[in-house]
Amino acid sequence: MGINKTKRRSVLPRKVDAFAYYSPFMHDKLPAAALPKPAPGLFWNPYVQIFFTVLLTAAAQILLKVGADHSASNNNSAWSWMGLTELASWWTWAGIFAFVASFGGWLYALRFLPLGLAFALTNGVHIFVPIGSWYFLGDHIGWLRASGILIIISGILLLAQSVAKVEEKV
Amino acid sequence: MSLIAWTLIIISQIALVAGQIFLKRAMSRREHGGEIARGWITTLVIGIATMTVWFLLWLGVMPHVELSKQMPFEGISPILIVLGAAVFLHERLNWQGWAGVGLTCVGVLLVSAS
Repeated sequence: MGINKTKRRSVLPRKVDAFAYYSPFMHDKLPAAALPKPAPGLFWNPYVQIFFTVLLTAAAQILLKVGADHSASNNNSAWSWMGLTELASWWTWAGIFAFVASFGGWLYALRFLPLGLAFALTNGVHIFVPIGSWYFLGDHIGWLRASGILIIISGILLLAQSVAKVEEKV
Repeated sequence: MSLIAWTLIIISQIALVAGQIFLKRAMSRREHGGEIARGWITTLVIGIATMTVWFLLWLGVMPHVELSKQMPFEGISPILIVLGAAVFLHERLNWQGWAGVGLTCVGVLLVSAS
């Protein structure tokens, strides 16, 4: 009995991106019916998940900073330079949890959004970290940082507008 | 900035783009279901491993390079991701999308520089 040998080939079609429905990234290779749609409800909207990802990442950065400051004030040993003493602080663990949760939201959003668009939107972190640092940690926001934040906001608004245009067409 | 530092930064940026493409590919496979979904966890693990390489290289370079020289690479990362996604995932961006990505990069550069 002969062994049925089939030539192994990639199962991924070369020109398929099933996520054009939600994006300004133009594709016409896949019929609209085949495009995946997220579960109904605002929470499952991929853009809302990107927003959560951005918020959680910014919260994680601030929590890790608080945890690092907290442990530094309690410990001056050599271990403090290796980032291990920070693990003794609950703030640090809250930050780690926020990072993990943000990664979950990021992976969910990637199921429905094109990578380039989703990644550009996550730059909202650079808006929330300085604002959070100013509000919770008392950091100073100079004119250079403020103008950077405004430019990021306008960039994200442009991206949102281009998404809205494509969705209107669909 | 030394040649080694340049090389490591470039490798880290390549790892960032590759890692994100692997993650996107994994989630696309998963969403598609059926035969295509097979092996999506492997792709996801490769993506996470590649992102870990990026993170370690990025941190490793920090003590050896002035922050003002390293940060511009963080600013251009959205453009690199869009280019990588165009080449490997065949994603396309309209002019407004490009303008949005460009503005975001400039904003990140300014925030990083401050």
